Amino acid sequence: MYRIRFHGRGGQGMKTASRILGTACFIEGYEVQDAPRYGAERRGAPMFAYVRVSHTTIYERGVVPVPDLVVVADASLMAIPAAGLLTGCTPQTILIMPPLYAETPPLPFPGVHLTMDMDKIRETQISPSHLSSLWAGAAARLCGIVTETSLLQAVEEELVLLGEEAVAKNRQSALFGWRLMEAHTGCVTEKREPSSKAPPPEWIEFPWDPVSMSAPAIRSPETSRGVITGLWRSVRPVIDDARCGKCWWNCSVHCPDSAITVNKEGAPVIDYAHCKGCLICVEECPRRAITVRPEERDPEKGDPP
Amino acid sequence: MRRRLLTGNQAAAWGARLSGMEYAPFFPITPQTEIMETLAGWIDRGELTGRLVTLDSEHSMVTAAGAAAATGVRVFTATSSQGLLHAMEMIYTVPGWRAPFVMVNVSRGIASPITLEPDHNDIMAARDSGFLQIHCATCQEVLDAILLAYRIAEHPRVRLPVLVNMDGFYLSFTREPVIIPDAALATRFVGAFTDDDTQFTPRTPTSLGVAVLGGTPYSYFRYQAHQASLNALEIFEESAEEFHTLFNRRPLLIEEFYSEDADIVFVMIGSFATKAKNAVMELRAEGWKIGLVRPCLLRPLPIHAIFKALTGKKGVAVIDQNLAAGRGGVLHGEITGALYGRPGAPPTITSFIGGLGGRDISGAEFREMAVVTHHAMERGETPPPRLLFTQAELASVRKMQATALGSHALPTKTQKGEGHE
Amino acid sequence: MNKPTIKKITDLSPHRLIAPGTPTCAGCGALAGVHQIYDILGEKSIFVNGAGCMTLLATYPFTPFKGSWLYTAMACASAGAQGVRDALDILMEKKRRQSDEAMQVVVLTGDGSASGMGLSATSAAMDRQLDFICICYDNEGYGNTGHQYSRSTPYGAKTATSTKGFHGVKKDLFAIWAAHKPTYVATVTAAFPLDLAKKIEKASKMKGPRMFIMLAPCPPGWHFDPPHAVNMGKLAVNTGIWPLKEYIDGKVVHTLIPKKRVPVEAYLKSQGRFAPLFLPGNEGQIQAIQAHIDDYWALVPPS
Repeated sequence: MYRIRFHGRGGQGMKTASRILGTACFIEGYEVQDAPRYGAERRGAPMFAYVRVSHTTIYERGVVPVPDLVVVADASLMAIPAAGLLTGCTPQTILIMPPLYAETPPLPFPGVHLTMDMDKIRETQISPSHLSSLWAGAAARLCGIVTETSLLQAVEEELVLLGEEAVAKNRQSALFGWRLMEAHTGCVTEKREPSSKAPPPEWIEFPWDPVSMSAPAIRSPETSRGVITGLWRSVRPVIDDARCGKCWWNCSVHCPDSAITVNKEGAPVIDYAHCKGCLICVEECPRRAITVRPEERDPEKGDPP
Repeated sequence: MRRRLLTGNQAAAWGARLSGMEYAPFFPITPQTEIMETLAGWIDRGELTGRLVTLDSEHSMVTAAGAAAATGVRVFTATSSQGLLHAMEMIYTVPGWRAPFVMVNVSRGIASPITLEPDHNDIMAARDSGFLQIHCATCQEVLDAILLAYRIAEHPRVRLPVLVNMDGFYLSFTREPVIIPDAALATRFVGAFTDDDTQFTPRTPTSLGVAVLGGTPYSYFRYQAHQASLNALEIFEESAEEFHTLFNRRPLLIEEFYSEDADIVFVMIGSFATKAKNAVMELRAEGWKIGLVRPCLLRPLPIHAIFKALTGKKGVAVIDQNLAAGRGGVLHGEITGALYGRPGAPPTITSFIGGLGGRDISGAEFREMAVVTHHAMERGETPPPRLLFTQAELASVRKMQATALGSHALPTKTQKGEGHE
Repeated sequence: MNKPTIKKITDLSPHRLIAPGTPTCAGCGALAGVHQIYDILGEKSIFVNGAGCMTLLATYPFTPFKGSWLYTAMACASAGAQGVRDALDILMEKKRRQSDEAMQVVVLTGDGSASGMGLSATSAAMDRQLDFICICYDNEGYGNTGHQYSRSTPYGAKTATSTKGFHGVKKDLFAIWAAHKPTYVATVTAAFPLDLAKKIEKASKMKGPRMFIMLAPCPPGWHFDPPHAVNMGKLAVNTGIWPLKEYIDGKVVHTLIPKKRVPVEAYLKSQGRFAPLFLPGNEGQIQAIQAHIDDYWALVPPS
């Protein structure tokens, strides 16, 4: 069985990518299982989808704990432990993703790390909204069990409701991903069912706890500060202090996330640990004093690691 | 201490009054409404302080009850049948808030067809919600159970709402002698509302009933409510002991009536069980070794007490006043499940469905259930579940059908003995 | 004490009383309004929530609130508010709570609930003159489940269950609520923070049912990019599609009358959900929407 995990952010099309791959394998005559998994978070937050492909009936269900191939759409996800990108990876796992950010420490990844050449993709002017097909095409080639024809048919079947033009562009995108991976065709290897000979579970005698702790009640205020929604961001707004008119009632009041505080001098300060990157502040600043910069995290400036 | 003729509904109102109820969200439904009217009358005449508010539905009523209890006041409410079902989303929700309050359910059959008369399908639908359940057989038990229920619900080891159940008409509208406990003693027994986990104040902000992500925290919180429910077995016994000391009556986990030396035992809940007592005494007089076991607490299910009472019996006849469509009697499943695989478990457990929609169970029928169970014991073969329904009843339905269906009535194959009169 | 303290934009609080770190979508118009409201009400409040997008604001073990929160279910937030309010009153009467522990009870509900299954409980709460603030964040669809049409979806809007445009008419919740003659009813939107703040402050000093309908631009549900969320609210008001008004003492007063209304097309064109209106052959529909808006404002007396 092949087990493939696609990681992205809500809105980046990784569910679609997983379905295109699933359908392509199905067209090839395989038994297939595919499913997305979301948390409570919304667009911009980490999500993943998975595909199982087998010659025989698939009895496994639920998330893929040990993947043969991991596809990551967004390098910024590496910084989010909860995204679980590398969970269960073995020396046999293949990882394909965009280039890591500069100064990212080496990944604790035991397998084969491939990098998608995003510059080449930019040159072809493939729109970000068609990237799901590109990742599906790449994954299909890496598995090596899907023909070009089946891949293109799968794109069409999955995206037919978007109209002819979108299908044509997605087919182009899928083919591009497929061709970029030519040198690695079939490098993903099929694994057997995992053994159940793991150590036995450490079941406990379930304790009774007093109601002060055993109700679904939060008794500390403002604990959500511990949730680093700044990790959702792919670009960051930056305030140019020289141009800032200190009219915080534009940026701070309009920030939905309370992520622009006002300091003692009356100047707005962006809380990068929590700014989700909606960029409302950029649009609302009357002096155009807030600009958009590519995301680069600097823990020394209080950014999330 | 006064002994007076009270209906079950009035006894419930007295229970609420003596418990120091502070807040009563309500919604009218037959046969419960008299409880609400009684409390409203007392409040209007200044005999009772407390706030009674009519909500727009039972769903809203249970929400308000849970929210008020979670905020820190002693809450009482009541409903029946369709109302309990209408509230079902919140019946499952408020135990998760760990909000202790008491709710009386006056059992009534569930539509469709709609009816006013009692059976236990309504309360059985709430069986797995997290509410504790006390089932009453007399008007006295209704009053006593409410006092006891507050003690258990508010106990720090429990903190769950309690449903006190009585049968519509057979108790709700039936007057019988009830001892009204002394108010000061009742106050002493129930105690002050324990708000040691006060929440929703500016100093102790609380976010309650919040969402969880994933099966692990979900399992934890749900199982905690289950553990708290199981704790109620011990708290019930403790509180019953104190109740006995103060009032000289002992509330029971299960009632055992001539069952100790019996070979055959009826098992049933609610007020129809007193009819079974009549049958037991008559059969005993003829030399039958027969008795009755009546679980009073259904949630938590006192499995050990039930096992102890039924162990070594040769035959058990479970009489269900409910019908789990596609399965049969709910109580039968509960009892067999509690006994299965235990040494000394009765080899024969027969199942009878009776009293649906208030249909009476006659003495002759109790006798026949004993006979059927006795034969099953002797043959070592348990018959399939039996609905208590006679030839004459079918004939009466046929007569109604002739009117209802007119020319659409299809000729039915006349079974032996069946036919229009 | 009852004099308004918020008169101009600089009177708004520079401090954010609701914490960041919630799981709402980037650019959420509902959260934008909720934080502006919370900046005024603060921790002496208990928010009683009905199922909707805001349900996940508090997700164990994280809450953004300094004050309290109770999650009920979709149909019954206003009934939960009744229970909490009554209990607080009883506790105060019996001196089991101190007078400085007085709290506002605030219902937070989406439009799907408010215009549908929550209407009964809310109507009954108004009938009983319940002392509460009720906030309906109106993102014009069942947002939390992926934006299917609700009875608050406007005509022509594409949703997950009206892929060719919604053929119903947006329910007039303001009129329905005002017909109950509650203490106060107002429309607001986060793009007009001063108007919103003045109304919340005014309402916070009143007793009885105080009802708010807050237009909540929704980037994923309305198909626009998050940076434009505030602009959507501005356009909604400036086209006259979202009149800012209040019902008080039996009268409806408009708090902001656009001097020259922007054509509705500007609003409709800015959101992908209205794409069906721009298909060939549907020109008449946009004219009809404009005419409907013009008819509304023709009856509004100039301020």
